Amino acid sequence: MSLFAIGVGGSGAKCLEALCHLHACGLLQSGTGQPLRLGTFLVEPDQQSTLLARAQTAIVRYDKMRALLGNKAESFARGELRNYGTWSPLSTASGAISLDQVFPKAVLRTQASGLAALFDCLFPPEEQSAELDVGFRGRPPIGSAVMSRVSLASEAQTGQWQQMLSDIQAAAGAGEAPTIHLFGSVFGGTGASGVPTLGQMLKSWLGELGLTSVHVNASLLLPYFDFEGQGQEGTGVHAEARNFQLNTDAALQYLRSSGTTCFDHVYLIGSDIKARYGFSIGGRSQSNAAHVVELLAALGLRHSLQPVAEDAYAYVLSRAAPNQISWNDIPDNEAVGQGLSRGARFAVAWLNNFSLELDTAQKLSMGAFLSGAPWARQFFQPSGKATGTQGGRPSIRSTEELNLKSAIDAYSETLLQWLNQFSSNTGEGFNQELFTPSLLQRNPSYENALSRVVRGSARPTKEERQDMAEDIKVRMDKLSPKEIPHNGVAGLADTLWSLSF
Amino acid sequence: MRSTQYIWLGVTFAFGILWVFIIQNLLFLNVFSALLGQDLNVFLPQVSSPSFTVLWFSCITALFIWIFITWNGKPRNGAEVRRMQPLWWISTILLVLLGWFYQLLFTVLIWQIQVTSPVEGSGVNYYPLPPGGWLLVMVFVVFNVLILFWLPTLLASPRTYRFVVPGAVRLLGGR
Repeated sequence: MSLFAIGVGGSGAKCLEALCHLHACGLLQSGTGQPLRLGTFLVEPDQQSTLLARAQTAIVRYDKMRALLGNKAESFARGELRNYGTWSPLSTASGAISLDQVFPKAVLRTQASGLAALFDCLFPPEEQSAELDVGFRGRPPIGSAVMSRVSLASEAQTGQWQQMLSDIQAAAGAGEAPTIHLFGSVFGGTGASGVPTLGQMLKSWLGELGLTSVHVNASLLLPYFDFEGQGQEGTGVHAEARNFQLNTDAALQYLRSSGTTCFDHVYLIGSDIKARYGFSIGGRSQSNAAHVVELLAALGLRHSLQPVAEDAYAYVLSRAAPNQISWNDIPDNEAVGQGLSRGARFAVAWLNNFSLELDTAQKLSMGAFLSGAPWARQFFQPSGKATGTQGGRPSIRSTEELNLKSAIDAYSETLLQWLNQFSSNTGEGFNQELFTPSLLQRNPSYENALSRVVRGSARPTKEERQDMAEDIKVRMDKLSPKEIPHNGVAGLADTLWSLSF
Repeated sequence: MRSTQYIWLGVTFAFGILWVFIIQNLLFLNVFSALLGQDLNVFLPQVSSPSFTVLWFSCITALFIWIFITWNGKPRNGAEVRRMQPLWWISTILLVLLGWFYQLLFTVLIWQIQVTSPVEGSGVNYYPLPPGGWLLVMVFVVFNVLILFWLPTLLASPRTYRFVVPGAVRLLGGR
């Protein structure tokens, strides 16, 4: 089964970042437990956005790691991912970066003077001339105007949508029931305008093609952050926190009246306790840390994989304690907790211990290295020869193995960064009982204690003294060859993944 | 510790007892008697047995200290594991030096202190061990340390310390 995730705007990109990590943690599976194919597509006019770059980094690093892993893993990074890239709604407007370039007023006046007057009525001069290469500046009407010019029928023939739309068609044609899931905020500019518009376009396009088996769902983010400062006089049109509620009200009213024309199901997630981000108009300066709300939004896609009541439309979530979120507040917390816990513990153990061990192995003879690391002989040839294999085990110094190690390092660092951000960025007076942020960092100290990485009910029920990286090494060393189907760095990562929880 | 390691520890422990208290004496009596002086009926019970028994105690004590330390160790990485190698060598060298000292003690010093002669009528306050005999017992001390310390630590060092004993990677490192 195929899933197609579309992240719209900065918050949408952050949701796709969360979704990529959920997929890596094996949390997007079919009913039979098989990992699903996930396609990702980012819609963002602000091509310099740090949030977009972060989502792309997570996707690209996971994709690269998977490509280098190939079929050499049984449980680690099983989920297939297809990156459809990034698309800007401004890219169809022949280089136009402001509303008055997208809808040239001179042309409007000569061809339809009434429309020109309406244009002036709807958009004040500063909105008409605002450069949109930093996004739609927190103004949904601007975004809606730009987005509504997109024709999916023509995009399906050429352009960046082409590959994804043809894959959706192919999946539906093959008898699958693919799901398209859109992510975005309803209180900003790009997401609020883009998600419903794109949802409606996709539904219409699917209807025209008779692809009724395709579900179109959305995770819509309600306000969950505030800005610490605000734009200066020269900033121009910009997103303002005081408009968030107004934008949200408008979006929810639209959903109530016309929601079913855009989506089959929606997941509405926000937070009464707001995270505080520094003000940014967009671009590279907008580096809002990841937030648990984005994880919950991504889990909406996971929820839609389970049988849902046809008449149900909107799903909401609540938490048990007013000032705290714990695993019990996470939907399907047992499976999700185990998956994320395994991912976090793997990333800490890999990046802060096993990877460092492999670095040390490059400076020692294999015999000397093995004398302190007997587990390594299960995956690498004990003779340590630079080329060739012995008993199927590659050399610990082989370039291929080191490339894969670097790819796993890079992805693990991204995963840790995301976990660290969302577990430390909770908002004032609000606690999380999910992870210990201080341990979710890369450090060269050969982290041994894994018991405190995860908090609460998702923490493995092992004694603290028995829950160390060294215990995993001992267990690796005891495995019989039959229990280690793959050798080299891939086999090591795969085994570590299995033993991490 | 693996179940096979428990078995090896038991086997090498039992073999050590067998070696020190039976096999070694039989070898002294039947193979190396010419090198050990005229009075083997004095040498075996009053010199060789006590000195090698004390050495056995020393080796077993060192062995259990080693197993205790490695069993309870939680090394962060291979470098911390390898840091045990110098400790192992110091223990081994110390045991050999102690073994040699025990030979000197029970062959010479103890009689000097007591001002008695182990061999009646010899007129000397020590056991008159020929130079070849000295060489033989010194070699046997090394051999005892190998059997009583190196072999069990090689076969029964637990957890990530499994290959830290010299020769372990070469002898046990295959899969």
